[in-house]
Amino acid sequence: MNGILFAMILALLIPMYEAWKDDDVWQKMLAFASIATKTSIMILVVSVFRDDWNIGVTGVIILSVGNAGLMLLAHIVKRLNEI
Amino acid sequence: MIDLLSYGCIGIGIFFWFWGTFPLLGERSVLYKLHALSVADTLGSMSITIGLLLKIPREWPLILLALISLAIWNTILGYVLAYCSLEQETHD
Repeated sequence: MNGILFAMILALLIPMYEAWKDDDVWQKMLAFASIATKTSIMILVVSVFRDDWNIGVTGVIILSVGNAGLMLLAHIVKRLNEI
Repeated sequence: MIDLLSYGCIGIGIFFWFWGTFPLLGERSVLYKLHALSVADTLGSMSITIGLLLKIPREWPLILLALISLAIWNTILGYVLAYCSLEQETHD
């Protein structure tokens, strides 16, 4: 279990570094979308290994509604760029 | 046997994650990175979720919901990001 989580955290560090390094707003959005998916899958993995479904429900909710916020944010950024 | 299969699925998923996330560090265009990232994140995460489903079959409704929302939302998010990041063109 620990090995899987370490590998996941390592994979999570790449988009975090990218979001910190890059100034272009779309590259940042891309990195943030990747971080969102990866962390919610990590929440699911932890909940399965601990056999605790209160955590798991949180992960599923993030997966099912979380990306909608990012899509709205992308549209707002696009509109702001048009002005 | 089932245990081995589930660890195999999780391993494949993590490999996909690394494979698709490394292009983020390069100096390529946004669309190239978006393509690699959406393929890797969606397929890799779905593989990990299937591995979890094999591990705990009694919670299948929740995991199935996670699987379906991953498949739908991540594809739509990819399209929306690609559309929004393009330069403004008049479509009328």
